[in-house]
Amino acid sequence: MSNTMLKAAAGFILLALLLAIPKQVESPYALHMMILLFLSISMGQSWNILGGFAGQYSVGHAAYFGVGAYATMMLMQARQVPPWIGAWAGMVLVVAVALAIGSICFRLRGPYFVLASIAVAEILRLSAINLTALTNGAEGILVTELPAFKLSERVLTDFSTKVPFYYIGLSLALLTIGVTYGVQHSKLGYFFQAIREDQDAAHSLGISISLYKNIALVISAVLTSLAGAYYGIYVGFVDPPTVLGLDLSVQIMLICIIGGMGTLWGPVLGALVLVPMSEALRSNLVTDLLVKVGLVNADSKVGVFLKENLAHAHVLLYGILVVLVILFMPDGLMGFVKKLARPRKQEVA
Amino acid sequence: MPILEINHVSKFFGGLAAVSDVSFSVEAGSIMGLIGPNGAGKTTLFNCITGYYPPSRGEVFFHGRRMNGLDPDKVCMLGMVRTWQKVRPLARLSVVDNVMVGALAHTSSLRTARALAMDQLRVVGLDHRADFTAGGLPIGERKKLEVARALATRPKLLLLDEVMGGLNPAESAEIIQLILDIKQQGLTQMVIEHDMKAIMRISDRIVVLSSGEKLMEGTPQEVVTNPDVITAYLGESHA
Amino acid sequence: MAVFMQSLLSGILIGGVYALIGIGLTLIFGVMRVINFAHGDILMVGMYLTYIAFTWLGIDPFVSVLVTFPLMFLFGGFLQKVFINRVLKAVSQNQILLTIGLGLIMSNTVMLIFTSDYKLISTSYSSSTLKVGGGVSLSTPLLVSFLITATITAALYWFLLKTDTGQAIRATAQDREAATLMGINVKRMSIIAFGLGSALAGTAGALIAPTYYIFPQVGSVFTLKAFVITVLGGMGSVVGAMLGGILIGVTESLSAVYISSGWKDVVVFVLFLLVLLFKPSGLMGKSRT
Repeated sequence: MSNTMLKAAAGFILLALLLAIPKQVESPYALHMMILLFLSISMGQSWNILGGFAGQYSVGHAAYFGVGAYATMMLMQARQVPPWIGAWAGMVLVVAVALAIGSICFRLRGPYFVLASIAVAEILRLSAINLTALTNGAEGILVTELPAFKLSERVLTDFSTKVPFYYIGLSLALLTIGVTYGVQHSKLGYFFQAIREDQDAAHSLGISISLYKNIALVISAVLTSLAGAYYGIYVGFVDPPTVLGLDLSVQIMLICIIGGMGTLWGPVLGALVLVPMSEALRSNLVTDLLVKVGLVNADSKVGVFLKENLAHAHVLLYGILVVLVILFMPDGLMGFVKKLARPRKQEVA
Repeated sequence: MPILEINHVSKFFGGLAAVSDVSFSVEAGSIMGLIGPNGAGKTTLFNCITGYYPPSRGEVFFHGRRMNGLDPDKVCMLGMVRTWQKVRPLARLSVVDNVMVGALAHTSSLRTARALAMDQLRVVGLDHRADFTAGGLPIGERKKLEVARALATRPKLLLLDEVMGGLNPAESAEIIQLILDIKQQGLTQMVIEHDMKAIMRISDRIVVLSSGEKLMEGTPQEVVTNPDVITAYLGESHA
Repeated sequence: MAVFMQSLLSGILIGGVYALIGIGLTLIFGVMRVINFAHGDILMVGMYLTYIAFTWLGIDPFVSVLVTFPLMFLFGGFLQKVFINRVLKAVSQNQILLTIGLGLIMSNTVMLIFTSDYKLISTSYSSSTLKVGGGVSLSTPLLVSFLITATITAALYWFLLKTDTGQAIRATAQDREAATLMGINVKRMSIIAFGLGSALAGTAGALIAPTYYIFPQVGSVFTLKAFVITVLGGMGSVVGAMLGGILIGVTESLSAVYISSGWKDVVVFVLFLLVLLFKPSGLMGKSRT
């Protein structure tokens, strides 16, 4: 079998496995982990299109996530609009927001672009806090009951278990991977990367910089808003710091950077590393492990301290990972893997 | 009808006139050399022509069409493309991907673009490097890559900015041959160069700039014997 | 009218502290061309140092500046030598990411140690005010901060203009290569610049500690504000940072009074975007990206 056929076969098997998991695995916690994984992959892949391929490092992507989340939740709460329609409204809205942001930020290069992207997201976050009539301000929006999803009178799901969320998440992750693949293997991918590598050179080769930057932005923003909508309905609660905060923007970037920017599987790798690690910390797995191995006494000061605080340390971990990746593996895990797998001809004498 | 007309073009940066009232035209199918000491305004003129920035005064006509203020991408789509004095490879992309970016100016099919790119790489003699990372190439090959990439955009007018800069004689000879081959295909070229022998060999006509002004224009023979040109390059004592 | 004067003057006072933050950031950018996203978190570390000095050692916050300044200088030098130095030649995005990562490490380590609880330093003069006449009264701690800031700024100015090291730093900021050719140890200059910038940020933290809530995440707001200040003033210009700081302090203060305290930050950020769009080189504009 040729290489491509092998890859395709492996892909099918993996897909079949993923589809089968909710049927075989009962534990809601395991499903929750997978959902987190799908969410992270979606966020990372979405950012990758603008940041990894087109080279526009937006550190304000929470803006798009938040618009998707808030639009969906607001419509559900205020007008009982089911989220599968509300999410579309979110997407339409986010296109307008993205184009507005692009028109401001794309005139700037490098660090100035980064700063502007942060400022814009902060403006949105603060507006969400202040426009209480619309968004319920700092209290956030809570929607615990989702309408049942019906297809011509037949109830497909009432969202009472995690299972439907698993499948939605899987679809979203596959969608973002698919879009990335489509971009990568099209004119868009080439033009995005040309802009990333050398904007002026790309311009002189017939590439309309503003057009393609905006295309990358819109694709990225729409996918991110879907992730936001998904987050909203899964968790049932959104508030400004969680869905519009700088922490989220950084987290979205991290998934992609750790995994490898501008690659198809980078964000997947990044998510596979970050999600289990932060969950391990959050659930005291690490502390328990240290106790089991005997390195730490559960009752000692250190033990108690670890047990109480390590759970919140996942962001600290993000910081450490970023520093390590930037210093030692700037191409991310994907770069590392590629170097091992098939060294591309790099140096010419 | 000349393919390119430069009418009284000036470019000011603040109070400094980098280019001052320069006029000339280029006939289709010919090679126009553009020479002058460092700082004469040659690259600035290229930048004005290709839309990197607009001229402060004067007009640029390409195929009779006024080009002032058009963005570089529109300029390219209309048939004018340039290479850069300091090479600008798309470093992390492969050699063939670099050229494909150029080819994709006129096609949306990756397959067509790749075929076109490979053709161009064969023309410049880089097809054996197709899958190499552009950033790892030595300078001579990077220059060739840039030419191939520019050619892939199917230009009618190719502007080469010191394409032989930093090359050894063997590499320069290859470029010279390349330029002559390109001329054979019917493309018009404007070449900025410091290598006098090369310019003499390839140019049909030459424009000489000095301190932003056009010193003179003529055939290679006329230019090389002109006392003002010699002064501009070598100083008063050599006139 | 009294309200206007009050808020204007308060704005100037807090603007002085902002200026300190901005000067630190602009020094770092000027000398190393690094966009330091950890600046606010360094300020936060200064705040916590002050908190420790106050609650465990009983040292008055303003007095502890004498200790905070050198400690933060050393901290900054350490950060530069171990981390920042490695990315000086890297693409600016990588520098940004590295400093973001360092900032995250700082804020989360502090969170681990001190928890996210809001801490407060209450001194005897925390809420005391000084009547200046015309119905205007100014917060005493802010007034003292401003005086200390002015002193530090004057000292900094003297240092940059009159000492050999200061001039070497300015030379490095103007042209790194030329400075090397003239025998200046630019690596050392970078360490000093980052150390100085951190000391200024940490000191600013110490100065506002008596009047602000202290919590681990307080840094990010200040980082962004610091950037607004330096961009407004012109990246790399110390005078610009001073002007920018005062301007932002006043804008904030007036916005809080005349619009609302919830929107004051939005006003600042909108101003920031306007500057980025229309005059990105800032008031004293020197550098290009």
